[in-house]
Amino acid sequence: MPAFVPSAATLLQAAADDLERDVLPALSGLPRYRVRIVLNVLRLVTRELEQAPQADAAERERLVALLGGSDDALPALRADLGGRFERGELPLDDPALVAHLTAGLREALAIDSPGWTRER
Amino acid sequence: MNAEAVGPALAGLLPRIAGAGELQGLTRLTGGATKATWSFDRVGRGGERQSLILQQTVARAAPSGAGGKSAPKLTGSEDAQLMIAAREAGVPAPRVLHVLAPEDGLGEGYVTERVEGETLGKRVVGDAAFAQVRPRLAAQCGEILAAIHRLPTARVPFLARLTAAEELSIYAGLLAPYGFVHPALSYAIRWIGERLPPDDRVGVVHADFRTGNLIVHPGDGIRCVLDWEIARIGDPMHDLGVLCMRSWRFGGQGECGGFGSREDLYAAYEKASGRSVDPERVRFWEAFSNLKWAIACVRRGSSRTGVELAAIGRRLEEPLWDFMALAGARS
Repeated sequence: MPAFVPSAATLLQAAADDLERDVLPALSGLPRYRVRIVLNVLRLVTRELEQAPQADAAERERLVALLGGSDDALPALRADLGGRFERGELPLDDPALVAHLTAGLREALAIDSPGWTRER
Repeated sequence: MNAEAVGPALAGLLPRIAGAGELQGLTRLTGGATKATWSFDRVGRGGERQSLILQQTVARAAPSGAGGKSAPKLTGSEDAQLMIAAREAGVPAPRVLHVLAPEDGLGEGYVTERVEGETLGKRVVGDAAFAQVRPRLAAQCGEILAAIHRLPTARVPFLARLTAAEELSIYAGLLAPYGFVHPALSYAIRWIGERLPPDDRVGVVHADFRTGNLIVHPGDGIRCVLDWEIARIGDPMHDLGVLCMRSWRFGGQGECGGFGSREDLYAAYEKASGRSVDPERVRFWEAFSNLKWAIACVRRGSSRTGVELAAIGRRLEEPLWDFMALAGARS
């Protein structure tokens, strides 16, 4: 990536802050509803830019350990695990598997829906 | 159709279905991405006002070959017939005044009376206005569900009969075109497949009976049950599972709908139906319903029809997270 300044995450954050502070209060009805959704999407993508590289690295490391030393890229490793579930090859109550899936969902929720893992 | 097209057609229809009067306040209500809901009033000569709803439904696509079963989706006319049968059985479904015919020029759908009350989940589970009535809602749900489940199936022959196994094969099949790989989704599909309950108890199942699809009044509680279009004949415990999903609690307190307790729901259901609730079976259907909502998130996230629908794709992990808890896998 070129040496951008500001970063994509910083730009998106600024865009979201402006929308929320200066645009949202002037709106009502459907436009307000729509801008709220756009605002949520901007914040979500900002979190993704900040957190996804680490989450991907952690998921890959876990998958390599679980699946026995394969050196494939993340999509291939995911497909490998998914395929093994579909073929009935892995016991569903294996604590290491469950821990892996739970960790992956936790990392994704930190981006997509922070707070979902806290409630209940 | 826009208001310029709907208005004249509806004004022409009104005298035949509701009586003489003027059409006023035609408004397209938000919500309903795949269909259009219009609110309007008929104001009679003496000034009396009748609150009405026009529901335009999407014409059903021809069944996709091979003779295999597909996900239930009622036509506007079937939807209306089911609501009429439900009302006859004492279920608070919308009162249908008219089923649209081709000559009405409004497409497929129906006109019902409009019921005053709140549908927005966040308000039902959180607003102070509903604090008094909230403790009664879980029991009301149990009574209404018992009434739905004893509807005579012969009255609604158009409803599809789905076993849990058929349901799994249909909904998992919906994912195939997307080529989307998610190990937690594959895990959930296999977990459900290994725990399919015996097909021993069947009845009319609403399948979308949840906060957000109920009209709630601060004094009376549940006044009306909406959104009947994916009803089918199946396991009645399915409905109890959907109602308890965390995704439909809207942050409210209480595992039943975000407003009440499972105990109140189950007790009222057992009393009204004379049949026992199997909590394990409800848990299975709650887990399965989370899987189905996850599949729906993938499908909506893959659509290219605007940010609102696309963003739902990013809710995928919510039901999968809840699934892991229900499966007893996640502590």
